[in-house]
Amino acid sequence: MLSVFILAPFAGSLLAIFFPPDQRGATAWFAGAIALLCFLVAAGLYPFVTSGGVLRYDLAWLPELGLNFTLRMDGFAWLFTVLVTAIGVLVVLYARYYMAAEDPVPRFLALFLAFMGSMLGVVLSGNLILLAVFWELTSIVSFLLIGYWHHNAHARDGARMALTMTGTGGLCMLVGLLLMGRIVGSYDLDVVLTSGDLIRNSPLYMPVLILILLGALTKSAQFPFHFWLPHAMSAPTPVSAYLHSATMVKAGVFLLARLWPVMAGTEAWFWTVGLAGLSTLLLGAYFAIFQQDLKGLLAYSTISHLGLITVLLSLGSPLAAVAAVFHIVNHATFKASLFMAAGIIDHETGTRDMRKLGGLIRYMPGTAVLAMVASAAMAGVPLLNGFISKEMFFAEAIETHQANILDTMTPYGATLAGMFAVTYSLRFIHSVFYGKAPEDLPKVPHEPPRWMRAPIEFLVLACLVVGIIPAITIGPFLHTAVVAILGASTPQYSLAVWHGWNLPLIMSFVALAGGVGLYFLMRNYLATSIEGPPIFRLLHGQRIFERVLVTLSWKWARSLEQRLGTRRLQPQMRFLVFIAIAAAALPLLLSHYEMPPLLVRSIDPAFALLWAVGIACAIGAALLAKFHRLAALVLLGGAGLTTCLTFVWLSAPDLAVTQLLVEIVTTVLILLGLRWLPKRIEDTQESELLSLQVRFRRLRDFLLAITAGGGVALIAYTMMTRPLPETIASYFLERAYKEGGGTNVVNVILVDFRGFDTLGEIGVLAIVALTVFALLLRFRPQADSLEAPEQQRVQNAFDDDHPDRNEGDSVAEYLFVPSVIMRWMFPVIGMLAAYLFLRGHDLPGGGFAAGIAMSIGFILQYMSGGTRWVEERLRIHPLRWMSIGLLVAAATGIGSWLFGYPFLTSHAQYATLPIVGKFPLASALFFDLGVFSLVLGATVLILIALAHQSIRAPRAHARAMRSGKEAS
Amino acid sequence: MSHLTDLPVWAAILVCGLTLLGAAITLIGSVGLLRFTSFYERLHAPTLATSGGVILICAASIICFAVLQSRWVFHEILIIVFVLVTTPVTLMLLGQAALYRDRVKEKRGVPLKQRPPREEPTE
Repeated sequence: MLSVFILAPFAGSLLAIFFPPDQRGATAWFAGAIALLCFLVAAGLYPFVTSGGVLRYDLAWLPELGLNFTLRMDGFAWLFTVLVTAIGVLVVLYARYYMAAEDPVPRFLALFLAFMGSMLGVVLSGNLILLAVFWELTSIVSFLLIGYWHHNAHARDGARMALTMTGTGGLCMLVGLLLMGRIVGSYDLDVVLTSGDLIRNSPLYMPVLILILLGALTKSAQFPFHFWLPHAMSAPTPVSAYLHSATMVKAGVFLLARLWPVMAGTEAWFWTVGLAGLSTLLLGAYFAIFQQDLKGLLAYSTISHLGLITVLLSLGSPLAAVAAVFHIVNHATFKASLFMAAGIIDHETGTRDMRKLGGLIRYMPGTAVLAMVASAAMAGVPLLNGFISKEMFFAEAIETHQANILDTMTPYGATLAGMFAVTYSLRFIHSVFYGKAPEDLPKVPHEPPRWMRAPIEFLVLACLVVGIIPAITIGPFLHTAVVAILGASTPQYSLAVWHGWNLPLIMSFVALAGGVGLYFLMRNYLATSIEGPPIFRLLHGQRIFERVLVTLSWKWARSLEQRLGTRRLQPQMRFLVFIAIAAAALPLLLSHYEMPPLLVRSIDPAFALLWAVGIACAIGAALLAKFHRLAALVLLGGAGLTTCLTFVWLSAPDLAVTQLLVEIVTTVLILLGLRWLPKRIEDTQESELLSLQVRFRRLRDFLLAITAGGGVALIAYTMMTRPLPETIASYFLERAYKEGGGTNVVNVILVDFRGFDTLGEIGVLAIVALTVFALLLRFRPQADSLEAPEQQRVQNAFDDDHPDRNEGDSVAEYLFVPSVIMRWMFPVIGMLAAYLFLRGHDLPGGGFAAGIAMSIGFILQYMSGGTRWVEERLRIHPLRWMSIGLLVAAATGIGSWLFGYPFLTSHAQYATLPIVGKFPLASALFFDLGVFSLVLGATVLILIALAHQSIRAPRAHARAMRSGKEAS
Repeated sequence: MSHLTDLPVWAAILVCGLTLLGAAITLIGSVGLLRFTSFYERLHAPTLATSGGVILICAASIICFAVLQSRWVFHEILIIVFVLVTTPVTLMLLGQAALYRDRVKEKRGVPLKQRPPREEPTE
């Protein structure tokens, strides 16, 4: 049953995306129905959570790691669930009228539902890690919601800041929760909640406390992390009403309350939480007075009220915890309604600036009354719900919990904050609804549609009812929630409105009177002043935040880049090779490596000759690499062919085929790339004495290269001279035909036994191809290789000189015979690829070899006809081929599920085709087809990335020339 | 390689002769590549190896395996065909590239002006 709370919102979110954008009503109905469903289910579950009952839903996820999908509902979680879903329903109703016709409402409501799901996830998680997951989800979705109007720079900045703050906090919290799970030995919330002493006495208590507080305080916008919340006000008002008053910011205090039984009560808790809470309470209230933006005022007041809740939780007394839970509920009701009222004012007048507004009671009396009641609740006026929880707060503030200065200060701070709260509440009402009628408003103000006001009416009614008869209305539910947190230590408390003449009541009156007085003193200043409180307005949270970000992600990153990074390839390679040598040498040195004796056994002269040629080629390639790249490449090809022949000689035809094909493709691709390499800088001082530095550099690089190459040779030699230990080779040899249905063991291993590895490898190949493509897309060649090659220029000039010739005729004539042959080769190569592919399971070949072979066919077409010619005639979609390949491979693996076997189980059979005859048809063949398609796609993608370069570069060159001419 | 002992004498002689002949022609081609001085002359030498050498050695292979497996073997014919088709193309490309380069550098001994193929108008 509990899974409904997670499934319904997320499934609804997915569905809501597909509503047409103009269907405001239908989408809202749908989203509202989902929220209502959750609410009703929650209401129906109430009997199960009373008097300490706990509902659980378990789904094994990664039980080995103690990570399960556990949902857990106790009284406290129930209260939050109801809060989240009920206000969710109201906000959807409100948003239906608030959002303009041109806003994409389905996107909004989809995100809204996703947010509701993640928030319910946070509330209902029965596992610490799961809680962190949902926690981050709320951060991400709230980022998207705040940035809903993404054409607005403020919205983007606000969203980014909120994400940075809450995301960083969430990361800290995750570490804290992991540590906590380590202390307790389980991530299960039930276990954690019973091990309070273990946690409080652990040496890791301090780090856990600080890390979790970082998460909770950033989420709840507590000082000094409060500044993101006012900037998040650029979100649509329904978002603010939901996220920034009732739900998301409450997640922080929810976590504090949730972990209150196991973490509170220590001095460290009191100081850190209390200090943060008290300063937030005071500063938030103080800042709120000086806001000119309606929503800004509400945002700071939210910060202040969250600070109040935090202070209550910091005290560590059960009565204070009761007050905290109560205030969470109260604040959600009146603040959500106030945000909605502010949204109505904004909606109907076109501005939120309190300096421009005034006298609106004449235009919208209904809204005015509602807003007044709600802000009276915010101020803590008697007979409203805010009053009762504030009284409880004052009462707790007076009590002495710990003998230190912070505790002594709390009542004074509380009264002062209460005063400020009265002031800003009064300001909200007075400056908007009273005073002289507004002039030059963007719109003529009037009452909102009937149903836009309904959510506010409902919430205000709740404020009133709870404020007048608390014990009957909220009492039982509050008790259920409190029992869930406090358990046996639940204190006696009374929710009565009248407690007699006592100190808290006097404090309330002082705050009321003081607040009213303060407002009338400052009224004239406030009506004209600029945004933000005096002195503090110079201290912009946002600017500090941005400066920190700039330092971190720009300055530090740049200096790191300057120190460690380089734009040249050589130092990077040098570094890489050096690390590789070190990584290989270290274990050898540590394990007292001894060089095996050099054995010379009957050497076949032909083989030795072959290797002599190969070695000569390799050395020649190294020598010529700097002076003649083409020759070096040819020699490299020679060395590769030697390797290939060696494979044949040592009876590894599979490797030989693959090596040959890969050799061809890489050589051709490098050949295509050669043209873009910068030309060699002629060494002008060749004859002169080389400087010491250059000599040193060359010697160092030479030694590095020799060490690396020699090291690899040494390792290989050592491996080959050791007696072969028992390997799994015999296992594969034995089972390849019996279980894989193929006699080509290598191929059977690739597509069957180790199919999962292959799937991963082709995935990597796809990523590599995409990366190469992306890198080449941004490739800007050297200035000296921008121009078309010399020969092309000569030929084009010749064509230009002769009026009866078109440009490109010479090239076409020049390549006439070769290109005809190359075109004819295409079907032949295609057939070769098919042949390699089909025989792969039993004989050398397979999907990889076939893919490479096929791509050679494409390369030939590009070479013979040129890029444009080919792409006019052939449909070349490497990306599609790649994705089809991946999908086919994965689908083959999944297919075995249908028959009840594990992923990628292969089935082998023989099938008969006319003419071709009997051929093996294993399900691995389809997997191999996927490999084929992907390899083909990846190779061709790299090829066209290079080929398009030669189309693009001359164009860019021509453009540069043209603009250069115009400039001169 | 032990199969080779199964080969009848007449076939063995034939296979040996063809192989040796092919190898000899290839050797001559290689020596030619070494001894010739200009690029254009050098172009011709390796064709001996790719035409005569390949045909003879492939013929030897056909006979050898046909006799051993007592059936007709045609794989090598494909090799011959492809080598014969592709070698001239390669050489043509090489020759043309060299020609272009030499013309641009205006080397001596190179026909400087290409006769345009459609120089004369038909009327």
